[in-house]
Amino acid sequence: MKICLAGALALANGGVVRAQTNAAVFAAKATNAVVKAVLPAATNTARVVPPPKPRQMTLISSDSWDFDMTGHKVIYHGHVHVDDPAMKLTCEWLTADLPDSGERMTNIVAITNVVIDFTDDKGQTMHATGERAVYAYGVQDGVTNETVTLTGQPELDSAQGKSTGDVIVWNRTSNHLNISNPKMVFRQNLGGAATGTNLPAATNPPTAAPR
Amino acid sequence: MTISVTRHPSPVAWFLAAGMVLFFAVPDGRAQPNGVQHASDFTSVEYFEPPHQQQIKSRLSGAEAQPQAGGLLVIKQLKLETFNENAKPEIIVNAPECVYDTFNRVASSPGHLKAQTGDGKFRVEGDGFLWRQNDSFLTISNHVHTVIENTMK
Repeated sequence: MKICLAGALALANGGVVRAQTNAAVFAAKATNAVVKAVLPAATNTARVVPPPKPRQMTLISSDSWDFDMTGHKVIYHGHVHVDDPAMKLTCEWLTADLPDSGERMTNIVAITNVVIDFTDDKGQTMHATGERAVYAYGVQDGVTNETVTLTGQPELDSAQGKSTGDVIVWNRTSNHLNISNPKMVFRQNLGGAATGTNLPAATNPPTAAPR
Repeated sequence: MTISVTRHPSPVAWFLAAGMVLFFAVPDGRAQPNGVQHASDFTSVEYFEPPHQQQIKSRLSGAEAQPQAGGLLVIKQLKLETFNENAKPEIIVNAPECVYDTFNRVASSPGHLKAQTGDGKFRVEGDGFLWRQNDSFLTISNHVHTVIENTMK
């Protein structure tokens, strides 16, 4: 499932070198020199093949599950936990359209007590909450559109501060946040963000204040 | 004994077909009071409506089916495969055992169930399930775990 909120998903796997003889197949993350040392000279026909596309797993657990085979829709109920390489999500109800073979999910809806923890392209951790989150993916006229829309008293908490609004839209394609009717509370960088304490400025006064 | 049944185009779904197999094409001859008999290694196939009548829509197989009172069948080693109109496998469901209600066309079990898409990239399992044949609706009741394989761009 691609509920992914962060953009940097592609793994930078090392190249895989494969070389085949009559007797064996050697495959290793190695340089050509290593392969040459293994193979007999007469069969030194090592060829570099492109690394396989990385496969990442998304795990979903829940109390119960429904599958509408006609509509190709799956519904998770109760204590839904999504563990994706790019994020973790919990909610009480999640539905998704099951795509055809080889295609990706295009619509996922999470409802009730939605909590999303994810890391953006810059490695910044974010914590989002709301009553409803909708993931949408589509390609129109060759343009990819991938968004996550959070509604229902949505909040976005990061090292910089807390953002709230009517609707928070994360455009995954442009990595841009759009908050309607935004209210933002910025944290003063008094070391809290750097140390991970994230205490509000008002409760974290300078300890070496002049008398 | 193996039974293979093919049904050309029929709106009747796989479980009903299986039920008919078990009710009328009895393989091993152990008579039951109500005329329903035990079957083993059975397969039931349903085909699409025209113009795809040559394509298999679903295939149900089981290692054993034991009739019970009230039109119930206890099926062991259940396997259900569904296909799209291009003959690609869509869903594969496996369960060690279930009870099929031939009257209401509902299958259920408190036991384990595994299902996956034809390409194996979506796999789900859990305990306790209900399958409603009429609207092709599958419910897993407890301890649901899904694995989805993503091949990244």
